[in-house]
Amino acid sequence: MKILSPLDSAAEVDELVDAGAGEFYCGLLDERWHESYPVISINRRPAGKGHFRSFADLGEAVRRAHDRGASVYFTLNEHYYTDEQYMLLWHYIDGAIEAGIDAFIVTDFGLIAALQERNYQIPLHCSTGTTVFNRRSISFFKELGVANITLPRHLSVEELRELSTHASGVDLTVFILNSRCVNVDGFCTFQHGLAGPEILPMYRNACMLPFKVSGVKLNDSGQAQALPADSPQVERQKLWERVHVDDHPCGVCALFDLYDMGIGSVKIVGRGNPQERKLKDIQFVSSLLEQVQQGDCDRDCYLKHARSLYGSVYGRECRRFMCYYPELL
Amino acid sequence: MEQALYITRIQQLEYVREGFARIYFGAEFCERLIPSLDDVSTIAAFVQKRSLALTLMTPYVTNAGLDRLVLLLDAVRDMGMQVEVVFNDWGVLDLLRKEYPEFVPVMGRLLNKTKRGPRIMNIVDKLPGTCRNYYESCVLSVGAACDFLKQRSVYRVECDNQLQGLRLENTDPAIRKSLYIPYVFISTTRFCLTAGCDDPERTDFVGVDSCARECRNYMFQLDNQVMSVPLLRKGNAMFYVNDTIPETLADGQYDRIVVQPEIPV
Repeated sequence: MKILSPLDSAAEVDELVDAGAGEFYCGLLDERWHESYPVISINRRPAGKGHFRSFADLGEAVRRAHDRGASVYFTLNEHYYTDEQYMLLWHYIDGAIEAGIDAFIVTDFGLIAALQERNYQIPLHCSTGTTVFNRRSISFFKELGVANITLPRHLSVEELRELSTHASGVDLTVFILNSRCVNVDGFCTFQHGLAGPEILPMYRNACMLPFKVSGVKLNDSGQAQALPADSPQVERQKLWERVHVDDHPCGVCALFDLYDMGIGSVKIVGRGNPQERKLKDIQFVSSLLEQVQQGDCDRDCYLKHARSLYGSVYGRECRRFMCYYPELL
Repeated sequence: MEQALYITRIQQLEYVREGFARIYFGAEFCERLIPSLDDVSTIAAFVQKRSLALTLMTPYVTNAGLDRLVLLLDAVRDMGMQVEVVFNDWGVLDLLRKEYPEFVPVMGRLLNKTKRGPRIMNIVDKLPGTCRNYYESCVLSVGAACDFLKQRSVYRVECDNQLQGLRLENTDPAIRKSLYIPYVFISTTRFCLTAGCDDPERTDFVGVDSCARECRNYMFQLDNQVMSVPLLRKGNAMFYVNDTIPETLADGQYDRIVVQPEIPV
C-alpha cells in the first residue's frame, strides 16, 4: 500500500518522499488557462495556490520523484470539458506527457474518449469524480483501460471490502485524510471558486456557507406542517456547513482493514496546503501504515493507537462528524 | 414534443393527464428507494392499459443496489415490455448493455455534469464569453463524448432546466435530449441528513447508515442571500425550482419534456 500525496512544486518532492509519500498527484494552472477561464479550473482547484506554475517545474518534480522511486499523476479531473476548451487542453496534456508524468487522473468520459481517439498511450486513473460505487462500474472502467480508480468517499468499510474483491486488474485508491465532502464529488454540480477569496460567499464551496434552514413535515394526506426552527430535524440539516475540508477529517482507523483488503493506495487530500501540513499528514499516516505492515498489532490494538496518535498529532479528540468511517468509532 | 410525467410513487399516478405519452417511474438518487416489484408491476399495468410508454429511473448503486436492480430488471423483462432505462451509474449501463440489450439505455442527469449551482446567476452577465460558454455548454459539445455514448447504444441524454440555460445547438443531433422541469437537480449524498433525523442521537452523525425513509416525510429549504433561489433538500438530494420554459425548447434542441409534479424523491 502506498501513500498518495498532494504535490505543488518540485521543491517539495524530497521531503515528502522522506516522510513516506510513495506517489503524488498534482495539477498545473498557469496564465494561459487562467486568462481564458478565470473562474473555471482545469483540475477542480480554483486559481491560486495548489498548482504547478510551469512545465519546467513539473518536469523537475517528476525527475526528482522518479529518482526516489515515486510516481507523479497529473490531474485533469474537471467533471466535464467543452469542445471549445480542447485547444487549450491538448497543450496541457502534451506538456504533462513531455514532463514525464506517469498517468492522468480523469473524471470526464468525454476526455477519456478524446484521449483514446488520439491514441495516447499514457495510463489513465479514474478520479473519485467517476463515482465508481459498484463492481460493474469497476468493470466498465477496466474495459476502458483504466489502471487505477479512486473510490468515492461515500462507501463504508464493509462496502469497500466487498468492492475490493472485484478489483483484479485495477488498483484501488481510497481517501484517508482531509476534505471529507458531504456531497458525492462526482455528482455535485455546485461551482467552486466563482470569485477570489476576497468575496467569500462566492469563493467558498456552497456546502460551507451558512444557511437559514426551515423544514416541513408532510402528513399522510400530503399536507405540510412547519417544523420548529430548533427541532432536531432542522438542526441536523445544519451539519452540512460544519463538515468540511480543512478541519482534519480523518479515516486512519480504517487503515488496518484497507491494508487487509488489498487497497493499493490511500489518498491524502491537500493540494495547496503548506508543505509543513503535508509533511505532518504524511508522517501521521505513514507511521500508522508502518505499524499495520509490521503486523505486530491486532485490530483493536491498532484502533486504539490510531485514535491516540490522532489526538497527539492534531491536538484534538476524534469527532464522529469528521470521521471518514464513523462506523468504526 | 413528447411529454412525460415523472413520478416516484404509485399515488402520484393521479397527476396523469391527457397529453402525457410516457411515464417515468423509479428512483434517481437513492438505492433504498428503488421501487418494489409490486409497484413496478402496477405501473406497468397502468401504462399498458393506456398505451403509454415507460421509462424506468435508476440511481447510482452499490453492489447491494445493483443486485436489487437485477431483480427489478428481470421482472420487467419477464413482462415483455419495451422500456427505457435511465442510468445514473456507469455500472448500470454496463449491466444494461451486457445483460439487458432489449432495454433502451438513457444517460441520466447525474452523469450529464453541467454546473447547476444557482450562485452563477450573480455573475453570469459579467463573465467573459469563454466562461459563460462553459457554463452554458456541456460534455455533449465534444464529438468524442457523443461517439462514446453512441458506441454504447446511448442515444438519449437527460438535461436539467438550469438557470443559466443550456445550449445544445453544437451537439450531435443523433443524441436526443430530454428537458426536466421544474425541479433542477444540484447535488446528492450518501451521507443523507434526512436519514435518522428523528433520532437526536444521530444529530452529529455524517455517514452511511440505516434510515426509516424519512425522506418521504420531510422537506427542507436552505436560504443564503448569495443563492439566487432557495435550495430544496429532500432526502439525499438537493434541488431548486426553475419553471421558466427556455427559449431553446422551441429550437428543436429537445424532443421530450419531463414534468416533475413533485420533487422526485
